[in-house]
Amino acid sequence: MTTHLGLMALFSIFVSVVFAALMRDAPREQMLFGARLFGGFMGAGILIGWLLYPLPL
Amino acid sequence: MRADAADQVEPATNKYLIAAVAWAIPGAGHLLLGRRQKGITFLVALTLMFATGLWLEGRIFPLGFDLSQPLVGLAAIADLGIGLPYFVAKFMGEGAGRVVAVTYEYGNAFAIVAGLLNMLVVLDAWDVAEGRK
Repeated sequence: MTTHLGLMALFSIFVSVVFAALMRDAPREQMLFGARLFGGFMGAGILIGWLLYPLPL
Repeated sequence: MRADAADQVEPATNKYLIAAVAWAIPGAGHLLLGRRQKGITFLVALTLMFATGLWLEGRIFPLGFDLSQPLVGLAAIADLGIGLPYFVAKFMGEGAGRVVAVTYEYGNAFAIVAGLLNMLVVLDAWDVAEGRK
């Protein structure tokens, strides 16, 4: 669980749940919006990680 | 017998009270306003997120502004956004932070973002109390 990817997923779940509840009222809309946010966080994190991979420190 | 203005019962949607309760206990503002599903969601998610930050050995930054370390002051304000859990954790001796722990920075991020998200939740509760949402 305490891998970088695992913690990123956990962080994304928490933030997605809170934003979905804040920005949508109907439970079904909250589920869909939260899932989209979670996918976006994970996708963006992995994409940016790969883009930074060839860069020197 | 007519009641004076001072005798009138304060409405349940006193926005200042709602904001204070919403800050102190994540989600409590929404629960008071009858938004039970949202209130429980915020209560569980934000409390768990803050607790995860402590479990990951993050630090609860101390209040007080040191000019040589302005980011610590800002982090403390963000941590304080979670409300009572901040003081409960301090009281229990949690949140000392272990800088050498692999998860130290992750823990800080969880605790800080939980506090910042609760500030957004307070603003949302304020809007609901004002009738804007």
